[in-house]
Amino acid sequence: MPGVESNSGERSLVPYSLELPHPVVHSIHHGLKPPIARLSISWSLGNTLRVSVLRPPSDEDSDDGEVGGKVVEVKLSNDDGENSDATWRRIAYGSVTPFAHLQSRRSTISNLSNMSLSPSPYSIDWWEYVMEYSKDINSLLGSLDSGPDPVIDDPKMVLKRTEEPTSIKAAWELMEIFYADKQSQPWQLERLVDWLADYDSLLSSTHPTVHSKLVDFQNELSSLQVIEDDPKYWDVLSSALAVGWIDIVVKMLRLHGSYQLHQLGNRETENGLVEAVAVLISKKPRMRPGVEDGKLGECFKAKPDFIKAWENWRAQITKLDCSGFWLQCDHHQTREGLKNMIQVMLGNIDSLCVETCHWIELFISHFLYVRPLKVGLESMYGLVQKCLQLKPMLGAHRLIDIILGILGENTEVVLAECSRAFGPWMVAHAIELLTTGSDHAESLLHEERNNLGGISIAELHRLVYAQVLSSHALTWQIAPIYLSSCMKQGMGLLEILLSKLPTEHNETLLKNIEICRLYELDTVSSNIMKIAGVYHWKHGRKGCGVFWLQQARDEVRLTRIAQHLFDSVGKSISDESFKQWEGLIELLGSESKTTGGLDFLHKYRDFKKSLKQVRDGKTTDAAHQAVESLISLMKNPSTPRCFWLPLLHDSLKLLNWQERPLLNVSQTDLLLNKLQELSMAKLRPDFIEADLPSEALSCVRLALASNLGRAILEE
Amino acid sequence: MAIGTALSEPPKIYRFAQSKYIDSVRWLPPISALDRLAVIAVFDSDSDSSSIQIHSFTQDPSPNLTPDSQWDSPSRVSSLTASQFKHKSLVAAAAFSGSLHVLLTDAMDPSSFESELSLPEKALHDGPIACVDVMDCGLECVTVGEDGRVNLVSLGESELSYRRIFDSSGLVSFTSAKWASPSEFATGGFGFSLQWWDQRKPGGAVSQFKGDWNQRASGIVHSIDIHPSRKHTCLAGGSLGTVFAWDLRWPQQPLLLSGVGSGEASCSPCESDVWEVQYDPYVKSSNVGNVSSRILPTMICSEDGILAVVEQGEEPIELSAEPCAINSFDIDQQYPSDVIYSLEWESIAILTRP
Repeated sequence: MPGVESNSGERSLVPYSLELPHPVVHSIHHGLKPPIARLSISWSLGNTLRVSVLRPPSDEDSDDGEVGGKVVEVKLSNDDGENSDATWRRIAYGSVTPFAHLQSRRSTISNLSNMSLSPSPYSIDWWEYVMEYSKDINSLLGSLDSGPDPVIDDPKMVLKRTEEPTSIKAAWELMEIFYADKQSQPWQLERLVDWLADYDSLLSSTHPTVHSKLVDFQNELSSLQVIEDDPKYWDVLSSALAVGWIDIVVKMLRLHGSYQLHQLGNRETENGLVEAVAVLISKKPRMRPGVEDGKLGECFKAKPDFIKAWENWRAQITKLDCSGFWLQCDHHQTREGLKNMIQVMLGNIDSLCVETCHWIELFISHFLYVRPLKVGLESMYGLVQKCLQLKPMLGAHRLIDIILGILGENTEVVLAECSRAFGPWMVAHAIELLTTGSDHAESLLHEERNNLGGISIAELHRLVYAQVLSSHALTWQIAPIYLSSCMKQGMGLLEILLSKLPTEHNETLLKNIEICRLYELDTVSSNIMKIAGVYHWKHGRKGCGVFWLQQARDEVRLTRIAQHLFDSVGKSISDESFKQWEGLIELLGSESKTTGGLDFLHKYRDFKKSLKQVRDGKTTDAAHQAVESLISLMKNPSTPRCFWLPLLHDSLKLLNWQERPLLNVSQTDLLLNKLQELSMAKLRPDFIEADLPSEALSCVRLALASNLGRAILEE
Repeated sequence: MAIGTALSEPPKIYRFAQSKYIDSVRWLPPISALDRLAVIAVFDSDSDSSSIQIHSFTQDPSPNLTPDSQWDSPSRVSSLTASQFKHKSLVAAAAFSGSLHVLLTDAMDPSSFESELSLPEKALHDGPIACVDVMDCGLECVTVGEDGRVNLVSLGESELSYRRIFDSSGLVSFTSAKWASPSEFATGGFGFSLQWWDQRKPGGAVSQFKGDWNQRASGIVHSIDIHPSRKHTCLAGGSLGTVFAWDLRWPQQPLLLSGVGSGEASCSPCESDVWEVQYDPYVKSSNVGNVSSRILPTMICSEDGILAVVEQGEEPIELSAEPCAINSFDIDQQYPSDVIYSLEWESIAILTRP
């Protein structure tokens, strides 16, 4: 038997996994005495495993008072360390609106382009919609805001403390940069620089980074007396410069001791050199439309302007590098440190290699100082290969494979890595970005495949995500939005999902029916109502049951229910208990179509009411009304036969009315015929005797006969 | 769907994610002028536990909703109501398991619970309690359920006592209840049915009504409200966007304010279930002259995420359209401009009207 160990007390189950380096061992305490005969494991709702532990069937005589088995539910958390279940749900809720919005835009556009033969003018702007979607989704994945700026700027606070960024946001932004954001394509490299600045800290978890260097230095900073004597200061400066964090570099440079007023006099040249480097750094030309307030760098939108400025800047650096002032700089560390920084700025590969910690940093520094102009993905990938050789990364972060997939233009790899690292939510939503990236990716993801049962990769991942949603009690209502966007199998699965939801909980039932209404799934909804109807009926909530069966127009069941009801009515409708029935009868209404023979009860109630009035000594009017009700009840084919005699017996007073006969000849004939039929039926084996005195039949017959006599005389 | 008349200035909405499902939300009656407190029935799906929490709403420096105290409920809360009781707040919570819990807040610290009285499962109802409503003075509450029982629970010094005033043995199910006066209350149920009860006339409902304006499909009454100044009129909201008023003086002539079957579909702010209705003291009726026969403005919340005010003969005013269901709401009786509501997607919102 799998997973069962023979030692008593504790049982261990070892989940099978390809990915996990260490298998996770869960102990289940089921508290059963050994031996255990059977163990069955199945998935329950969501991430819950249902483990059924069964003991061997005990002998008749051995009564050890032990239960035969137990079912244990094991909740496996999908703890990815970064996002809790609640956070995932928040993301799932938040992404519904952007996703639905994008899908409706897609269908609008495809409708428009179907109508006109010419290429749609809208298709040009499609990526703009995707960008809007991407920004909405991105905002759900956490914010990078550092909160309000402190009123007093601490000069020694070189690294702003921000909220810990999330890998999922980093991955999303990366895909946005490469696939969706066509507008900022000319300054894609600058976006990559920003990206690294935001997320380098994430890579620190597995590998030393420039960010981790900075953090270490920041911690030591307050205890340093003469900052420029510390080789670490210069090392951190060059590293930060290599990855283009120029604001931090300039701020740190200004901490240099030569800026202090009392030292300015004798370190004039040194200070001049530091300031010259700082100014040069802050004037670095950047190919981007603008920078945030307070950030440094000179921005250029047009390529020719940028190249001109770039060359100019390089010339200034070279000029400074050859300057004679270096000889007059006495402070050794300062001279060497600044010189090294100049080498970084001049794009010296060796310097860049030394100053960066891993290949992505090296890759970025390349764009900053060696080849500042945008290149195609192919040559980027070539560069990546080179950087990987120079600065291999030991422990791989989950982001790395995604980056490699993107740069290698391998859509399948990106998809697979997204799925592995971030799960179905990520894949289902990132596909929108991927398909915008290129026509190749679009056709790859939307092509219908036989090996997937005729659906596309995109649809497959949406279906998977919808499955995840529908397995949780709080998110199942979102699943229909994703399922309905799946052309091939979505609606089928939606029907299954809705049909399988529990109906016991009234609110869930109503929400379920509402979804059926929205998607026009009338058959499903009527099935659900039938299930609910039978459920409530069986649990003794007769009114509730009848209501749902009526809503479902389930005449077959209503007719069968009617039979049950008549039985209990026959026994229990005395005048006292009538109050109880009042509401149900009201609910049934008088319309026979939706009640399946239950309209009898409605008429029966009217009859009882007028009979009561008669008994209370009310007018002849009431008596006439009662007679009318009686006749219509006896004429009605839906009145069950077992009620005939009780009805007639109840009406004895009407039949023997003192003043004049209330029933005319034909009415009396009808009743006599019914009575005859009843006597015949008595001979049949399935006849059920009414709970009446034995002389009831003869009493009624006598009354009818005398009424007939009087009626004939009157006519 | 109609788009409501534009307000001169849109209301401000503050949303507070809770990462737990909100079963119900109510303002606590004001005890001191400083506190703005709300009581919330919470269901945590991760730990499968339920609780009732008091949160305080502060607007300085920025609007914020912070939890103050919590009482763990043994079962998920199906109905929640709050009222004032001897300078304290009384919170009555009914559970799906059938138990009833009456909590009193501390007289000194209104944001914490001081005592709890309860009735166990199966005492009042067989199955879940559908609705509990507390009489204004807080001395007595009515509970109804799908099992067809109607119970009156009296609040004693140290215990709750109850008496069953009706039991339909499941022939009729009730989904909602509301007090009209110390002796009268109304209940609602399946088939758009309403019942009027008077404790002075025991044995059953004094009057009853079944809505049958829609021949295609009937529905369920989810919520009832009765205005203290018009005790003869019972306002009900339910399936298919239906909101109607039932006047005891003309029991066979219900007034349909909104709904799919109303014929004027353009008048309905929503088409799905109206989960709760409440008279809205903030919107002044535009037709003041004809006071007694007109139905006062009513706020509703719905499954399709609409929070709106409907008024007889007027275009509905849509206050908020959320992407998910609004399951419950409550208008602050002290500051009627403020509405608190709970969203399907595990969050609470507070709406402030200009």
